[in-house]
Amino acid sequence: MKNDIGCLEAIEAFYAYLDGELEEPGSIADFEHHLEHCRSCFTRIELERMLNERMRRTARKESPQALRERVGQLLQHFGDDSNG
Amino acid sequence: MTVSNAKSIFSAGVEENIDALYSVALRLTRRDADAEDLVAETVAKAWGAIGTLNECDRFRPWLFRILHNTFISDFRKKSVRPDEASYSAGECEDDDLVTLLNEQSDDFLVWWSNPEREFFNDLLGEQLLAALDEIPEAFRTVVLLVSVEGFTYDETAEVLGIAPGTVRSRMKRGRTLLQKALWAQRPAADRNTT
Repeated sequence: MKNDIGCLEAIEAFYAYLDGELEEPGSIADFEHHLEHCRSCFTRIELERMLNERMRRTARKESPQALRERVGQLLQHFGDDSNG
Repeated sequence: MTVSNAKSIFSAGVEENIDALYSVALRLTRRDADAEDLVAETVAKAWGAIGTLNECDRFRPWLFRILHNTFISDFRKKSVRPDEASYSAGECEDDDLVTLLNEQSDDFLVWWSNPEREFFNDLLGEQLLAALDEIPEAFRTVVLLVSVEGFTYDETAEVLGIAPGTVRSRMKRGRTLLQKALWAQRPAADRNTT
């Protein structure tokens, strides 16, 4: 059964929910129930989610080819001492 | 585990994580060449410490822990700005912190949610990275690991050797600092309307 929680209680759970750290099914249901009824909290969490997503796409970089080759060479030679 | 098995698991794990290692290294060192050196050094150290990897499914946090330790021991001195020195690990336990979005900053919310603002365009990508780089390292690292690389709070705590509760409070603080840095970067035209 879903409980009605207020904004203060929702804010307590805000980031745990956003980061997938809100584990109890009851807590998740209560939080989502609050979002369905509170435009302000819904807007805030959507914006936080967008910022997270944008940050993920922006800060994630493809490693340079030179680095991949350098690491590849390291990996090739690991274990040589043990084998030889 | 035979050397051949270990090498095969290790190589696959490194190759799978090389972009993530580089991405985190780049935001920690803020320099391409240093980031590449940090990743290469991490891989070399990790292979040397392969005996400390007790469970294969813990490979990722184990590898990033070595990256972080290597950064601290060999690279941090070059990348830390003087203003970051005041942020010690003990100074971010403030659980009452709420981020800008959550502390009812309606001006910020209106500005940010305005669809005409094109907030999420390419230019913002640079602004976002600049804002991220402004955050003191203790908070930047946690934000990177959780928000960008998808580590859980427990895994992040394992990587950094801190308590999960500290990860939680640093995330809050890191988000607040990031949003404040973005808010400070908003175009002058926007400042006049708020």
